[in-house]
Amino acid sequence: MHSEKTFPGLDQAAWEELVTRFDGRMWAVARACGLGPADAADAVQGAWLRMVESLDGIRDPERIGAWLITTTRHEAVRLARRSRGERPAADALPDVPVPDPAASVVDAEFGRRLWLRLDGLAEPCRSLLRLYALNPDAKYAQISMRLGLPMGSIGPTRSRCVSRLRALIEEER
Amino acid sequence: MTDDDHLPTYLLAALRMAAGADPVPGRVSAAARAAFALRLPGAVVASPAEVGPGVGARSEGRPVMHRFAADGLILDVEVTVADDRLDVAGQVSPAPGPDARIEVRTPGAGSSRVPSETGHFAVAGLPPGWVSVVCHRPDRAPVATRWLHVRD
Repeated sequence: MHSEKTFPGLDQAAWEELVTRFDGRMWAVARACGLGPADAADAVQGAWLRMVESLDGIRDPERIGAWLITTTRHEAVRLARRSRGERPAADALPDVPVPDPAASVVDAEFGRRLWLRLDGLAEPCRSLLRLYALNPDAKYAQISMRLGLPMGSIGPTRSRCVSRLRALIEEER
Repeated sequence: MTDDDHLPTYLLAALRMAAGADPVPGRVSAAARAAFALRLPGAVVASPAEVGPGVGARSEGRPVMHRFAADGLILDVEVTVADDRLDVAGQVSPAPGPDARIEVRTPGAGSSRVPSETGHFAVAGLPPGWVSVVCHRPDRAPVATRWLHVRD
């Protein structure tokens, strides 16, 4: 359960410290959800606005980073659905989310460990994940050409490759 | 949805951060820093309420209605985006009286209006993106809609 204290001492300086700590992570999450730069900017801004409107209700400052990252993912998923032409009923707004426990992996240091592990993956996983990480706007058609994979298999292959990477990381723990 | 469903997204995000190929743009950080000024301490946040079937459908240049409710007020907010401009019109019910102010806010600016006798208000020519409507009432807490994302 959350503790009952409200957000202590949040002023402009403390807010800017939160921005410095988390906006790079939030941006990376929005982009990892497949959004282009304009939509990713909207998703990150949306997460900060959700925080502004939720300030009175935030009970657990310790988890604010996970909350911001989770909220960014929620907003990014909504924007991605909309850009695919899907329309959720009456533009349903998510409730204030429960932070995802996995949000803690969004960290540059952890990312560097992932890169080391990436070299241990077989092809096409190594090249595919490298390409995704280094070329944020890569399209399926471009990846398909560069790696010689059928376009329709890129999505499923990426999921499989991320699962393998994850298995390697879990062995390490 | 289980936690496992989000892990691939977060792993990819960590890889991207470590690669440093796509840092957060300065304008995104600047908008984040500026967001703190948008807080409304003590405001009652109005969540979306159900509107009738079909109202949520939307297409280019056609208005979309959203209903928000809190603290005895209903805020109907109609948004229209055309030519990269956002127009917001709506009605507060029950009509809040001549001492109230309706503020239509975007992250970059706010415009205040005195509502009509019937509680209607309108603001035109805003930048598309995030928008919120606030009803400022004398002697009572303001009621603010949750931020709404509006683009073509």
